[in-house]
Amino acid sequence: MTFTRLLAAALAASVSALTASPAFAASTKFEFWYGLSGDLGERVQEMCKRFNDSQNEYEIVCVGHDTYEATLQNTIAAFRANKQPAIAQIYDGGTLDLMLSGAYVPARELMEKNGHQIDWSNYFSGIASYYSTSQGELLSFPFNSSTAMIYYNTDALKKVGFEGLPETWEEVEQVARAMKGAGYDCPIAFDPTGVWQWFEQFSAIHNQPIATKGNGYEGLDAEVVFNKTKFVDQLTWLKKLHDEGLLVHKSKATGETSNAAFVNAKCQIVSSSIADHGTFAKQAVEGMNWEVAMLPIWAGTERKNSLVGGASLWTLKGKSDEEYKGAAAFYNFIAQPDQVEWWSTVTGYIPVTNTGFQAMKAKGFYDKAPYKGRELAIESLTYTPPTEYTRGIRLGNFTAIRKEMGDTIQQVLFQNVPVQEALDGAAERSNAVLRRFEKTYQGAQLN
Amino acid sequence: MIERSPLFNAISYAMMVIGFLIVVTPFWVVLVAASQSLSEIARVPMSLWPSAHLWENIEAAWNRADLGPKLLNSLIVALGVTFGKITIAALSAFSIVFFNYRARMVCFWMIFVTLMLPLEVRIVPTYSIAANALSPFQTLLDTLGLTGLISALTGVEVSLNWNLLNSYTGLILPLVATATGTFLYRQFFMTVPDELVEASKMDGSGPMRFFFDVLIPLSRTNMLALATIMFVSSWNQYLWPLLVTTDRENYGTVVMQLKALIPAQNGTPDWNVTMAGALIIMLPPLVIVALAQRWFVRGLISRDK
Amino acid sequence: MERRAYYRNRLLPWLLIAPQLILIFVFFYWPASQALYWAFTLEQAWGGGNVWVGFDNFRQVFGDARYWNTVMRSGLYALAATGISMTLALVLALFVDRSLRGTKIFQDVYIWPYAIAAPAAGVAFRFIFSPEAGLVGTLNGMWPGIWNPATNGAHALLMVIVCHAWLGIGYNFIFFLAALQMIPRSMFEAGAMDGAGPARRMIDLQLPLIAPTTFFLLIMNIISSFTDSFGLIDVMTEGGPVGSTEVMVYKIYFDGFRGLDYSGAAAQSIVLMLLVMALTFVQFKWIERRIHYA
Repeated sequence: MTFTRLLAAALAASVSALTASPAFAASTKFEFWYGLSGDLGERVQEMCKRFNDSQNEYEIVCVGHDTYEATLQNTIAAFRANKQPAIAQIYDGGTLDLMLSGAYVPARELMEKNGHQIDWSNYFSGIASYYSTSQGELLSFPFNSSTAMIYYNTDALKKVGFEGLPETWEEVEQVARAMKGAGYDCPIAFDPTGVWQWFEQFSAIHNQPIATKGNGYEGLDAEVVFNKTKFVDQLTWLKKLHDEGLLVHKSKATGETSNAAFVNAKCQIVSSSIADHGTFAKQAVEGMNWEVAMLPIWAGTERKNSLVGGASLWTLKGKSDEEYKGAAAFYNFIAQPDQVEWWSTVTGYIPVTNTGFQAMKAKGFYDKAPYKGRELAIESLTYTPPTEYTRGIRLGNFTAIRKEMGDTIQQVLFQNVPVQEALDGAAERSNAVLRRFEKTYQGAQLN
Repeated sequence: MIERSPLFNAISYAMMVIGFLIVVTPFWVVLVAASQSLSEIARVPMSLWPSAHLWENIEAAWNRADLGPKLLNSLIVALGVTFGKITIAALSAFSIVFFNYRARMVCFWMIFVTLMLPLEVRIVPTYSIAANALSPFQTLLDTLGLTGLISALTGVEVSLNWNLLNSYTGLILPLVATATGTFLYRQFFMTVPDELVEASKMDGSGPMRFFFDVLIPLSRTNMLALATIMFVSSWNQYLWPLLVTTDRENYGTVVMQLKALIPAQNGTPDWNVTMAGALIIMLPPLVIVALAQRWFVRGLISRDK
Repeated sequence: MERRAYYRNRLLPWLLIAPQLILIFVFFYWPASQALYWAFTLEQAWGGGNVWVGFDNFRQVFGDARYWNTVMRSGLYALAATGISMTLALVLALFVDRSLRGTKIFQDVYIWPYAIAAPAAGVAFRFIFSPEAGLVGTLNGMWPGIWNPATNGAHALLMVIVCHAWLGIGYNFIFFLAALQMIPRSMFEAGAMDGAGPARRMIDLQLPLIAPTTFFLLIMNIISSFTDSFGLIDVMTEGGPVGSTEVMVYKIYFDGFRGLDYSGAAAQSIVLMLLVMALTFVQFKWIERRIHYA
């Protein structure tokens, strides 16, 4: 009897699906899943509302999933169940997973099919290269793009008598030690899960490989090499600073994130995304002075461009033509100059196109507080043309490798595992992840 | 007691008081923390005496974690599971214990084995089932070649689809499917004397009559015990709701919200609000257990016979 | 324990049992069979296809030192949490069973932890043990750095185990008390007449008599520590720091759902399933025997 009830329910479900088909609806609805939360999440909702208010043919429904990881996991689960959204925001680390999934509609194809003209060469090359095929075809839309920066509490710098902002790690160490001497408990706030800024970006600007085969761009058989690069010295240095109390562990696990410790003026230096520039301005305690700068390098090193971070928008297969029209209209909408400017103003995300950036620069946007300093992110991203190791990272299941690295940093800092030993172990396990990925997608071509 | 032993009695009381403290301290801490202001709770060491801010903290937690609708969802799910499980378990245990058919023991074992494999260990494939609960039947039809046959005969393409993600059914049904209830009922039904069955047969009543008129009234205590267990365990579910509801706004349950209440982001950690939220979430099952305690314990005792 | 009086009916018993069978087929046997299949393949995360790899996944799992660490940790967790919780509950039940005046209040309160959701208790204990807050964290005021579950794996594991043990007190207490109260009073009186004092009687008389319940609880607690620990760990430590609170269930969830390695997770699921089944089987054999010989 239950079986017939199941059948009846199934029939009812399919009938209701028929009657609710989009042809009868006043406007086409399509879903957009994103992974930002807090202040940035609210800005996304606002953007969705702006799009819906701007026209009445389509209605975008924006669903937040708190974190990038959760968005990727939920999108995959939904895709397997054929319940995927039309658009998903996937973070940098998930790019290769998407590329091989066969689950997306390429950006160019989507826009051409729906009659939108996009000047693809207008995107900053460092940004485009992260999300393109090796032939340069952009597969997803760069959306919220950022890069890692370093933030200084200038009151503390002044107190220890440092002029300007530190530009090398040597200077950072020097001011940190001076701050400690001047009675600051926490010179540098350090979140060991901040693998992106402390490891990936460090490797890029010092032109150090993360993996062979051009960080994985040239084949799924790439192997990680981070246990043989300058990062070994960098981690040794971080360990030294931690043991001296110059670098203090601040993360969710300790009850206060490194960013929170910075805006509360408890810690004086923090490395974080340019996207937090707007949030810092809002949340810094009364009277606190701070400034942002490009990530430091080691003296005598030639600086390269930093990696683009953040996420891009992927259009998923299996939706109706109507929904794709809506998605294309949405992409077109957020690429309009006034939208670009609004988005970059309310968040710290950078404009992703040359013209967008030039227009804002010409207006004098970057000349005065509170936006002054954000142009440094563009400078960092475009510092040199992308090299083999600064165009991006294209490794399978990179999320797992990031976690491996986060664990490694913690092992070194908190459990006194020797640096080389810890990194060798991490490399071995990361390569196991890569080989497993390669085998899962055997026969697949990187394009 | 059999004899007087003042010293041992004193030891007994002392031990019981220590046990009382161990059990109650966490509850007390939650209550105290939930009643303090941000500056009070940030004090090290903190005061272990309640303060006056309970209500505002509850309000803050209520708003932050959107507890109103979530409580309603939790209630719907817990009641749905409880009701579904009591019904289905009673029927299947009745079938296993009071009917004589060959596959009886096979059925029992098939049900019993599921006790051993909690949802947690088969979570990923269960998720894809929730996406389409009819997919096993579809696959069966396909492999048996019936789909082709049906479409050839009637011209209808059979495609069974019943999505359970983001629905109350999806939250409830997989939890109803577990076998604890069947097992409990079986243990109890086994203790029902054969004479009762004979007497009922002699009266000329059929099996269903016996079920409703004799068994159900007899097992009232067990049912209450089972209902309590089911209500508590389904209210407290965490992993399954986390997976099956991507649409948290509409189908989230309160226990899922706990993580959202942990202070992480900005400013001084406001544990007082977190604790106020935890207090609200703990309360309903606690009240149920406190109220149902009498039957609950008795029901379990008879189970262990 | 065979029943002599039966009903006979061709259709009715099947109709009665059908809902249960259909539910377990759909939500239990089908997914389990799928997990079994995945365990022998490499499944693409997006469902694009898979390749048959035989026992590779199991080889990979067993060849991974991290996995064995997780297994050992799960074992330690199970024994520690079970030991603490059962000992406490047993002691409390023994004293409550003496039915001194006023014990009813104690009895009522001891059951409370049973009602609490693991993640809710997790949040509360996380606060109690938080290194910067004013409870256990006060120790850090006196000896800086003495307690820090955020970086010290042993501290984190201890914190989770204590919370798990606390949660189990209610359940264990109920069963112990029930078992104690079923010991006939006459046995007691006989013991008292032989001159055994109350403490002696506890050890020589009561403990052996409730051995079956103790065994039942032992298995139930171990199984629960394998499965129910998920919510606790997710809320308290998310498996960290550096995986030092990662137990088997958490690793399955993490590798499968977050690490997108469905096949590796499926292989681990199969291993855990076999383990839990073995434990339950042992316990069930025991129960059945008791029923026979009782």
